[in-house]
Formats: sequence, structure tokens, C-alpha cells
Amino acid sequence: MTRKSGESIPLSIKISNYVPYLLLLPTLAYMLFFIGYPLVEGVALAFFDEQGHFTWANVNYLLYDPGSLFWDALKYTILLAAVIIPIQVSVAFGLALLFNAKFPGKNLALYTVILPLTISDVAAGLIWYVMLGQYGFFNKLLMDLGVISHPIIFFGIKNMEFLAIVMTEVWRATAIVFVIIFAGLQMISHEYYEAAEVFGATTWQRFRYIIFPLLLPSLQAALIIRTLFAFQIFGVVWTLAGRDIPVLAGEAYYAQTTLLRPGVAALYALIIAALSVSVGAIYIKFFKAKYLEAGM
Amino acid sequence: MSNEKILTSRGDIIRYYTYRIILAGLVIIAVVWIALPFIMTILYALADPAQYYDPHVIIPTSYTLKHVNQLLILGAYQATINSVIVALITIGFSFLIGLPAGYAFARYRFRGKDSLKLFIVALRMFPMMVIAVPLLVLYFKLGLADTLVGIGLAHTSMALPFVILITSSIIAGVRVDYEEAAMVFGLSRIGAFFRVTLPLALPGLTAAAIFTFIMSWNEVFIAAVLSFQNRTLPAFILNLIAGSTDFIKFAGAFIMVIPALIFVFIAGKYLVRMWGITLK
Amino acid sequence: MSRAISTLWAITIIVIIIIAIGAGIWWWYASQQGGKQGGGQKVKIVFASTQLNPPEEQAFIKSLLQDFTKETGIEVDFVAISYDQLTTRLQSEEQSGKVTIDLIGDLHGGLDYFASKGWLTDLSNFPSKYGALSGRTFPKVLEDYSKLHGIKAYIPWMTATYVMVVNHKAYQYLPSGLTPDDVKKGTSKWTYDAFLKWAENLKNQTGSPKVGFPDGPHGLFVRFLHGFLYPSFTGYQAKAFNSTDAVKMWQYLKELWKYVVPQSTTYDEMADPLLKEEVWVAWDHTARIKNAIEQKPDQFDVVPVPAGPKGRGFILVIAGLAIPKNAPHPDAAWKLIEFLTRPEIQVKVLQNTGFFPTVKEATGKIPSGPLKVLAQGVAAQQSASDAVVALIPSLGAKGGDFKNIYITAFNKIVLNNEDIKKTLDQLYPQLIDLFKSQGLEVP
Repeated sequence: MTRKSGESIPLSIKISNYVPYLLLLPTLAYMLFFIGYPLVEGVALAFFDEQGHFTWANVNYLLYDPGSLFWDALKYTILLAAVIIPIQVSVAFGLALLFNAKFPGKNLALYTVILPLTISDVAAGLIWYVMLGQYGFFNKLLMDLGVISHPIIFFGIKNMEFLAIVMTEVWRATAIVFVIIFAGLQMISHEYYEAAEVFGATTWQRFRYIIFPLLLPSLQAALIIRTLFAFQIFGVVWTLAGRDIPVLAGEAYYAQTTLLRPGVAALYALIIAALSVSVGAIYIKFFKAKYLEAGM
Repeated sequence: MSNEKILTSRGDIIRYYTYRIILAGLVIIAVVWIALPFIMTILYALADPAQYYDPHVIIPTSYTLKHVNQLLILGAYQATINSVIVALITIGFSFLIGLPAGYAFARYRFRGKDSLKLFIVALRMFPMMVIAVPLLVLYFKLGLADTLVGIGLAHTSMALPFVILITSSIIAGVRVDYEEAAMVFGLSRIGAFFRVTLPLALPGLTAAAIFTFIMSWNEVFIAAVLSFQNRTLPAFILNLIAGSTDFIKFAGAFIMVIPALIFVFIAGKYLVRMWGITLK
Repeated sequence: MSRAISTLWAITIIVIIIIAIGAGIWWWYASQQGGKQGGGQKVKIVFASTQLNPPEEQAFIKSLLQDFTKETGIEVDFVAISYDQLTTRLQSEEQSGKVTIDLIGDLHGGLDYFASKGWLTDLSNFPSKYGALSGRTFPKVLEDYSKLHGIKAYIPWMTATYVMVVNHKAYQYLPSGLTPDDVKKGTSKWTYDAFLKWAENLKNQTGSPKVGFPDGPHGLFVRFLHGFLYPSFTGYQAKAFNSTDAVKMWQYLKELWKYVVPQSTTYDEMADPLLKEEVWVAWDHTARIKNAIEQKPDQFDVVPVPAGPKGRGFILVIAGLAIPKNAPHPDAAWKLIEFLTRPEIQVKVLQNTGFFPTVKEATGKIPSGPLKVLAQGVAAQQSASDAVVALIPSLGAKGGDFKNIYITAFNKIVLNNEDIKKTLDQLYPQLIDLFKSQGLEVP
């Protein structure tokens, strides 16, 4: 796989150097018009007042106002990403290995596992909020079975809310990681397994020396996409914990709709973007070779 | 792999069945864990409120279509049609614009490739809620406000980075040798792309199109800000259920989820299996 | 073979894409032309409302508006919209000069913000220009509040308030000396201290807390702080924000919170927790508990809020009808205002939505059914001899900051256990500045 892209060099040398840029031009023009322009307007909101003068007012609000939850929001956003992403990647990895085996009803099971791809974050939050409620499905079931005598309270208690968010996010967004990793797994040629068998490799050796290295590009692609989206986490947190667990995107929404301070909202959005870009850049620097050649 | 071996000793047979049982157990756990909330959504949407609120009823037994019907009467039909139109527009534009870019990333090596890729992804990383307002002002100037095309164009900008990443990976998976061979036989590069690479990449591209459809179908924030009378389904439901009781919310979730579920079970084949075919 | 199938696929996909783009362009042109044609024929007006948005209420108002269409020939497009979307929408429309909204239905605070931005038409000459609103009188307090930033900004449409709901099961845990009748009628014995004892009994005797508040991200708990507790304990909403009375109030709330259902910080409305019996005694907006009363009318009572040392403080909510500046059909919109403020229509609105009339001629006729429960509670609250009526202050764009100060105080003092006096002193200057910057007296 990694070799194949390399082979394209002799071909592309023949082609004039500007062709790839030409192919990218529509995309760049489109993105600049539909996202770049509104984005610049958004940035202007964060640093300029209504008269068009430069102002630190929004930055000061963010950092010093007693009502600002900026540091908490930053902390929880990073904390949630740090807890959720490893769980998602390992669950998705395990599922991908599981579905690599043959068993009856595999397709049906497969479709079921990718179902959460079709659901929005707010809807996922709503469903889990009701299911985990004091008299929700789980508490009713466990009480009926006699496992617990009092309902487990998830909401209004920070640690439990955190747990509920992690559960819901793992349920909701593992599918996208799974799909990417599973596709990567399907790419591994059977010749490799056969070769391994000829040499009498153990299951662990097969995993360590064949599956894992060949899967690395997909794994990294999945990791990047999930990490970047993790910084935008909002709908699930907002429905399950409100502002008990503040997150950056949630505070941006709060500033925009309740506080009526669009400048502060824009500033939060900028911080999220800056965080995403720097983490994205770090990932790309680290995984450069393998990552790029996987095409992602 | 174990099932392909010839089972010789008793130990092998025991190992084989243990392995099958563990496998079955894990699959069942995964499927139940994922499916349960969907099943409950459907049950709650159709449950009689009296049973839904009864602390002793775990699974309701009496059902009604009343709440779902109520939402449909209030305009969910039209909103569904709007959503499908918007999703098709999004697929059309994002592939028209994104496919050449995906091809460029897959087949060429050029200066600034990494930076451009990061740049395109980074634009997507700016939370949509902040650009929605300036975008609406822009749309008023262009006469695009409250039109389905307008929402489709905005959704295109949201889906484009994904389409580019996915298509470039799919095209990279089609062996460049085939393309070169076709060119040896006298096809132009464009001809080779359309006659060789595209047909081979199609199943994967179909999967990408389905994914784009689902992204557009679920997007609520931009749609809610940009549409007003011509609402898409999620924007329509969001406005309708604000401040409602649970059973109305679930009726809304039901209308949202059912078409998506049907879609996955019909087209899921391509969404999952086609990746494999393309990339082998 | 697979090549052939793939080619078929290619053609299919390309055809789909072409159809999609074609459909899109066609649609765009169609909608552009549709917009141009609209002027000449039947008048159709757009009524954007942040009120009456839940499905049942929307179904009702839409059928009500059909009566209006039959009578006048004017078609009405009722658009349910959230406040932030309406703000965004109106801002863009007024900025670009292409106004499509003919009539706005929104709360006093929102209309105040729109008026402060200069987005609303002055309605003071409309009665002489387009016909008077005869046969109805608006109470003076409503007339006064609808004049904002030098114009007659809106016509009062509906009112609502916040009340308490009690599950009948809770009465058996009342503290000694307090009877269910005291609570239902709002006698002088129904005080915040008695409420605390009751909440304590409920928790200790049933094993878990049973009192709940809507303190979720879309909940209205902040109104309880500035419009109920503050007036009841200090006599003012903001003036005595960091007084010793206020410190006592916060101490009280900290004590009360021990007996409050912890999930309260995630409740947006109390109808569901009441129906699920997670909560037995709740406080919320009348519209947000209406569903509970309707589901189980025999299970709940609507009762007045308790009284504090300075009286029984409560908020009166006003929804108004306003016409945006440069709206396309002001005459037709005024006709709709006339229709919606008719006494018989206002009674219908009360029966179907739980919003109370704004014209004196409509009051007195109490509707039957579950709403009677609601109407009785509201009447008991409003007629209490110790009533301290509060209106949500008209701070326009600063309304968000105002709410945030109380929310911040609550989060710091009650949830994070920070020092009361220090927190209040820290926030007080900001609060006073808000009113000063708007040139308003501190309420």
C-alpha cells in the first residue's frame, strides 16, 4: 500500500506542476467564500467593537469576569477528549477485529453497529438522558431485577454526569472510528496472513507484526478526525449536564444565545479552532509518512 | 482463522468452540449495546403517555401513533422532502468540487500538500454556530436566504473536507498501474480516470455519498439559522419540540431516525462492504 | 464483468448528480420568481412567534388563524421560532433591508431589545391609521410596559406567570401547623420557612428529596432567584443585591438546596419530572407545567408561591405583538393584532394554551377542565394580599448579563459553597452598571 503511491511519481512528473493546484482551486475558492469570509467576520466580532475599534473587552471578559467559566471549560474539554478518545479507539479496534471473523448474521450485526452514524448529537443526548434518568429504563430494569434498591442518580452530580457523557459519546461516535479502522482492516491482503501461517506465527505475532503496522494509517486518520471533533463536543454535554460540566463549544453557545455577547462566542470559537489546528499540525508532523500515504 | 484449519485433536475442538462462544457473546453485547437506545426511542415515541410515565412499567405495552401523526400534520412531510432535496444538492456540489481535489491529493505530489490538506480540514474545525450569522447576512445579499439551495451550499462547505479526505483515500486505493496501462493504450489522463479509476472507485464513492447524505440529513444548526419557512426536518423538529414533554421529543426523534435507519439497512451493504471491495 | 457493472454505476451516479444540481438550480429560480409574484395576489403575512411553539399550541394557533383568514381573506404563515433565531433573523433582515416578517410575537424582554435596536415600528398612530382596537381595555401596567425607547413598541398579547405544582402525595408530609388549604390559598402561613420544613420532611420521611427546580441549560430557574426570592426576602429584585437581607436569603437557599432533587441542574421544564414522580413539589412557568396538569389533572394542585419576610414576590410575564420596521404588510398585521386581542379569542387562547388574557373584558370567564386548576392557582397568587409584583427588567441586549449575574451567584454560593458576602459584593457593581448603562432605575 505504502509503495503504490510512491509509484505515481514518474507519471506525475510528466504532468505540468500546476495541475494539482488547478484541481484544488474549486475547493479552495468554495471554502474561502462560504467559510473563510464568514469566519473573518466572526474574528472581527471577537476583537472589534461596534464602532470598529480594536478592543480587548471580550478577552478580558473571558479571562477575568467572575461569571466566565473559561478555564473550567478548557479543562473539561481536554479531559473529556483524553478519556473518550482512547476508549473509542480501543472499542472500535476491538469491534473491527471481531467483525473480521466470519459468523452467521454478520451483515445485520454490522449494520446495527454503524447505526449511530445516523443520529445527531442532541438526539443521542436526549435518548441517554431519558434512559439514565432516576426512573429511566436502566434504573427501572435494575430495580425490577433486584440488583439495586434505590435508583442510581446520574444527573446533578458532576462525576456521574461525566460518566454519562463518556458512555453516550462512546455509544454515539465510536461508529465513525470503527468504519475507518474496519475499512483499513479489509485492505490488508490475505497473502500476508497466509505468509504468516506458513511461518507459523502466533495470533499475537500476527497482530503485532502484520495487522497493527498495516492498520496504523487508518488508525491515525480515525484518531485525527475524532480528536478534532472532540474539541467541538457540545450537544451531548448540553443535554446531559447543562453547564454543570462546562465545555468550550457549550460556553460559545451560551455566550451567543443567553449572554447575547457574540464577540465572546466568536472568541471561544477561535480558541476551539486554534486548539484543533495545533493538535492537527502535531498529528500530521508525527505521523507524516504513513498518514499521508494512506490518502487521508 | 481457526475455522479454516482441520481440527485434529480434542484440544483443538474445545479451543474452537470456546472461541466461537466468546465471539458470539461479544457480538451480541455490541449489537445490544448499540441497538437498545434505538429500540427504546421507537418504543417511547409510540408509547401511551400514561404508561411512559408509570414508574413501574419498564417496557410499555400500549401504543399510539397520535404524537407522531401530530408532528406529521404540522409539516414534517414537507420538511422531509426539503431535507432530501438539500442532501441531494449537498452530494451533487460536494462531489463536483471535492472529487478533483481528492484526486489531486491521491495522485500528485506537490509543494504545500500537507499545509493545504490541513488548511481545508482546519476550516471545518471552526464551530458553525459562529459563522452562521455572518453567513446569513451574506445569503441575504445573494438572495439565498431561506432557500434549499442556500442550505445545500452551506452543507457542502461542511461536507467538503470529508468528501475530499474519503475520495482521496478511495482513489489512492485504486492501483495506479491500471490507469497507466490505460494511458499506454492511448487514453488521455482524463479518459483513463473516467474509464478506469472511476468505475473501480465507484462503490467506495457511493459509500462516501451515503455518508454525505447522512451528514446533511442530521445537520441542525446551520439549517435552523438559514431556513425560516423552508425548513429541513431537523430544523423543523428542533423548533417544534423546544419546551415539549418527553413523548413529543421522542416522536420527533422517531421521525428523524426511521428514514435514516431504513437507509442504513438498504445501503449499509455499500457503506461497509464496498469499502472492502474497492480497497483490496 | 465487474467493469460493466461499474460503468452502469458511474452513469447512475452522474445522472443523480446532474439531476440534483438541476433540481437545485430549478428550485432556486422557482423560489426567486415565486417571491416576485407574491405581491399582486392574495395578501399573505408572516407571523414569527417565539410563543405558542409546542406542537399542541401550534396546532391550535394555526387553526385559529384559519378563522382569521376566512374572515379577512388574509393568509397567515405562522412561523414558530426560538428567540435566538428570531434575533439573528431580524438582525439580518433589518441590516439587508429585505424584511419578510410582518408580525412578531415575543416576550416583553425580547421586544425591548428589538426596540432598543430600532427594529420595531412605532404603533402609537396605528389605531387612527388602521382602525381602533375597540371593546377592550388593557390594564395600565401593561400599557405602560409596552412603551419602550420612546415608541409604542407592542400590543400586549398574553400574560403568564410562574407557580408551584404539588403532587397530592406530598401533602401528608406537611409540617405541623400548615394545612393543604393554607398552601392552596396562599395564606400567611405559607412561607418560605414552612416550605423549607416541608422539603426537609419530604426528604427525611420518603428517603429521597422531592422538591425540584428547572435549573437546566434552558430552564427558567434564574427567574426564581431575581423575581421570587429577592423580592420576597429583600423587597427588591436588584437594589438590595448584597444587603444583609440578601445574605440571609442565600443562606436560606443553601439550606433548602440540601432537600432539592440534585437532577434539578439538568431540568429544562418540570412537567416531565412531575409526571415521572421524580419531583413532588416544583416551581416553574405556567406553560411548562401545563402538560403535567393535563395528563393527570387529579394528581396535581397548582398553588401560589410561598411568602418571605418582605411579602410574596412573583413575576408577571407579558407577551406582545410587534411589527418590524419596513415590514411589507403593516395594515394586514394590524388586522391580525385586532383579531388576537378580541376578548373571546383571548379566552380561547387561555383554554388551549394556558396563557392568560391581557384585556380586562376576557378575565372573569374561567375555563373548565384541567385549566381550571391552573387558573385557580394563578388567581390565588395574584390576589394574595401580600403580593409583590415583579416584571422582568427591560435591559435589552444586557438582559443576558443580568441573568448571568444571578446564575453566577447561585453557582458560586450554592453549588460551589463560596463565601456569600464576598461573592455578592464582587458581582454588585456589575449589576448596578447594567442598569446605569441603560439609564434605568435599579428595581
